[in-house]
Formats: sequence, C-alpha cells, structure tokens
Amino acid sequence: MTRRFTALAALAVVCAAVEVVAGRGMSPGVVWEVLNGGGDATERHIVFQLRLPRLLVALGAGACLAVAGLVLQSALRNPLAGPEVTGVTPGAVLGAVTATALGLAGWDAPLAVVLAACAGGCAGAALLWLLAGRGRGDPAQTAVHGVLVSAVLGGLTAMVLLVEPGELGSVVQWLVGTTEGRVWEHWHLLWPWALVWGVAAWLLAGPLTLLRCGDDIALAAGLSAHRARTLALLCAVALTAGAVAAVGALGFIGLLVPHLAVAVFGADLRRSLPGAALTGAVVVCGADAAAQLSSRLLATALDSGRLTLPVGALTACLGAALLLLVVRRTPSRTF
Amino acid sequence: MTESVGIHVEGVHFGYPGRPVLRGVDLTVRPGELTALIGLNGCGKSTLLRLAAGLLHPDEGRVLLGEDDVARLSRRATARRVALLHQSAPAVPGMTVRHLVRQGRYAARGPLGMLREGDDPVVRRALRDVGVEAWADRDVDALSGGERQRVRLAMALAQDTRVLLLDEPTTYLDLHHQLDVLQTVVRLREERGLTVVMVLHDLAHAARFAERIVALREGRVVADGAPKQVVTPGLLAEVLQVAGRVGEDPEGGWPVCYPDHPIAALEYENQIH
Repeated sequence: MTRRFTALAALAVVCAAVEVVAGRGMSPGVVWEVLNGGGDATERHIVFQLRLPRLLVALGAGACLAVAGLVLQSALRNPLAGPEVTGVTPGAVLGAVTATALGLAGWDAPLAVVLAACAGGCAGAALLWLLAGRGRGDPAQTAVHGVLVSAVLGGLTAMVLLVEPGELGSVVQWLVGTTEGRVWEHWHLLWPWALVWGVAAWLLAGPLTLLRCGDDIALAAGLSAHRARTLALLCAVALTAGAVAAVGALGFIGLLVPHLAVAVFGADLRRSLPGAALTGAVVVCGADAAAQLSSRLLATALDSGRLTLPVGALTACLGAALLLLVVRRTPSRTF
Repeated sequence: MTESVGIHVEGVHFGYPGRPVLRGVDLTVRPGELTALIGLNGCGKSTLLRLAAGLLHPDEGRVLLGEDDVARLSRRATARRVALLHQSAPAVPGMTVRHLVRQGRYAARGPLGMLREGDDPVVRRALRDVGVEAWADRDVDALSGGERQRVRLAMALAQDTRVLLLDEPTTYLDLHHQLDVLQTVVRLREERGLTVVMVLHDLAHAARFAERIVALREGRVVADGAPKQVVTPGLLAEVLQVAGRVGEDPEGGWPVCYPDHPIAALEYENQIH
C-alpha cells in the first residue's frame, strides 16, 4: 500500500515537471536555470508568477474533484455518481456565472465566486434529490435524473450568458474547464478551502466506508446513516464548488478518478480518500501538461500562434471513453 | 463474561400506511435463550427483528433490551447491545473480509476511532469464531455464498453484543453451509451466553436447533413453546398452511416434519369452522 502511494507520488512529481516545462516559448533548460535562481526578469516572471501557480491550481483542483466524487459515490452508493452528473458541478457553474453577471462576484471578489458556486452546487444537488424522489436508491434512475438536472442547469447558464455575455472567450474556457491564466490569487483561495473540506471528508472516512456497505448494514452497525450522508454531501458540494471556482467545470474527473482510486487503494476510505486526492491531482496535472504539449503541436500544424487546448476538453474526451468501461463493469448483484 | 440480556416485546403494533404488519405482539425472550421465529412470508417475522434491533420503531407498545427501551437509545448505543444479520446484503466492490468484519466495530469505536489502523481483539476473535482467518485478506465479492454468509456473521459478532438477531441466516445456502452457520451460532451462544433470535424458513432447522419456537401469523403470535410442544400437524396447517405429519428423530428426539401439500387459506378456514 505504501509502495502504491510512493509510486503515485513519483508520478505526480513527473507530471508536475512536465507541466512546468510544457508551456510554449521556453526550453526545459531555461526553466531549470530559472528554478536554480538564474534567468532574466521575464523568464522568472513566467515561471514563478504563471507556471507555478497554474501547476498548483491544477493539482489542487484535481484533488478536490476526485475526493468530492469518491465521497458522493460512497454516500449515495452509486458508481455513476459524480459532481458532474448529480447537478453539483453544473449548479456551481450556474451559481458562479449568475453571481458574476449580477456584479456580486468577479476577479476582484474571488471568495464571492466560491460562495456563489457553493450555493449553486447545493441547489443543483437538492434539485436532483427532489426530482429523483423514490428512485434515489437506484443508480441508473439517479443517473438519468442527474443528466436531466445537468441539462436544465446548463440551459439556465446559457441564458444568463446570453443576457450578460461578459468576456465570451474567458467564459467559454471556464465552462469547459481550464487552468489557463490561473495565478497565485486563485491558489491562495483554493488551498485553504480544499484543506478544510478535505480534512472534513477524511474525518468521515469511517462512516463513508460503512455507507458503502448499504444502509441496512450501516444502520445495524450503529451508524446514523442519514446524518452521515448529509454531512458527506455537504463536503462533496463544498469541494466541488472550490474546484469549479478555481478552474471551471472540469469534466469527468470526479466521476472516474474515484473508480481508479478504489481499484488501486481498496474500499477502505481511510486510504482511498487520500489516494483519490493524489490520483486526481496526477490526472488533472498530467492532462494539463498533455493539453499544453498538444496545443504546441497544433499551433505548429495549424500555424496559429494563439491556439490553446483547454484541459477540460481533454479530460471530457478521455472521461467519456473510460465511463463506458465503468458502466459495462458495474455489478448489480446482491449477496 | 457480562450478564446476558433478555428482550421484552410489549403490546407492539407496527404497520406501513394501509398495511398493518404487527397487530399486538407480546413476547419475552429470556436471557441466553435460543429462539426461532417461524411463519409465512409477510407475517411480520423480519419486522419484529428490525423492531428489536431498533431499526424501526413501534407505532404502539415498546421493545425493551434488558431494562432499556430501544426507541429511546441512540443508534450507536443500540448497536452496542444488539447485532442484526440481514437476509441479504449488497455487493461492496473492493472490500476485503477483514475490512468488512472491522466495520462491525463502528459502534464501539465511533467515527474517529474507525480512522485508527489495525484490528482489535474482538475483530480477531470474530474472524476466528467463524473460521475465516485464513482468507481474511480476500475480497468479499470473490467469495461463494456460504463463505460470504460466514463473513457477515463475523461482522455481526464483531459488534460484541449480548443479543444476536439473525434474519433467515440460511436462506441462500446449500445444506452443508446451512448446518455450518447454524452450528456456529449454537456453539457461540453456549460459549458466551448470547441471547439469539433467528427467523428460519426451514421448520426442520428450527425444531432441531432452537430451544423455543415462536410462530407468527398475520402479525400475531399464534404458538410459543419448546419444539416438541409446538411442532404439530395443527401448527403446520395453521402457521405454514401445509398439510403434513410430524414424527420424532430416532436419535436426537427432536420433532421431524413430513410436509405433504399446501392448503389454501380458504380450505384451512373450513377445517376449523
């Protein structure tokens, strides 16, 4: 188990290194020189003010989304749950977009974006809860209703954007999810939030592991299943909102990384929650590095200097393929 | 060894909207007794167990564990007094045997205690009790039905309660594993003075293993006593709605049933009126 954590941590370091050198216009040698205290003012600015915060935000957001997803899947006992398909992410996007359009939040009030995203995320989850009604216990029913809720919330977001377009380019990037242009401000907002809610989620590891065994067993073993589930959902919404406020609606991380984490670290959430955090960080960071490298290739191929591929587009494509695997492997038997 | 605990069910009514399940049940299970609950599907056996485990609360009347009213105990306090083995359980991907059994310690350890590493002596004893130590690190989902049932029994034993409730512990098992589970229960109850109530579908098992049989029909207790007194052709007809004969096991002396054919409810009513 320790070996798996170590291997994953090593992978995280590799991804981080690639991420730092993947950007355009600087050779790895120059980056190394800057990290060792050399380089000119512009190069130092690029590395320390642009690339490092971007790397940290990618790692942090990935960890948040993955933990949120694992908490959701455990609390709802639903392998198809994830922030994207339970209305949490689209709700958070709607909340943030609305708050920005109303002038309540924006680049000058980043905390307001997080809070608005939180409120929206809660509203999205609540909407699903109400709509699913008696079908809550059934993973497929919840998934279908989740798609419905996500579509409605997405539509509302589009309406808000049509009324109050703002800077269309940045908004689109945000809807897809990107780490482009994330600076220290974002990181300073993300890490305390992620730390508080991440620790809260980890303290719930015992109850959540029990909830994975089903309500009947959890209740008989002495867990107040309802209360534990409510607390867990709160953690999941908060973590998702933090990530969405930082990088936008990064697709499929929260849905798929938990499956990887459980496969690698087992159903004991004391281990698989930190495992999911690390896996999520690696996946988002790696995807971002890959997105930057392919942006470079595409830019040369299409001869367009300004083309950038948002990381969210990459995770969504990868995720859709992986989701197909999960759906086909999901067991439905009881014992 | 701590004192055995009895269960007192006093005038319990329970129902779902438009469907009464228990209609006034009084039952006293003495400390250390091994009781079998029998009856047709839907007669309220499982409901009675769930009420005794505090998973449901009666509409009228009350259930006492020792001196304490179950409805007034917290979920954790109840789980420290009574363990319930459910009829079936969902699959839990990725969960090992040791880990599932450790979940039985939740009530004793609490949410933060569950973060601690390692088994306590009770978990090790529970694994040993049902003989699953050898494959404690295998995935539960990879086990056969009989093995899984033993693991789930170990999880209930890990709660270290004085009262053990079993809801059809043998239903999905072959004969070998049925006897295996029941004999484990009998042995543990003798060793530890556990109070055991189990719902059984198989009257043969009830007659052989239980000290006392309680029969339910339409939410009421209709027969209650030692197997020899209770298991009669009349009981077969009234409670299980089958016509049959009853003999005696030549070696053990317990009653043996030879069920012949089912009788319709109407036919039965005609017989007694």
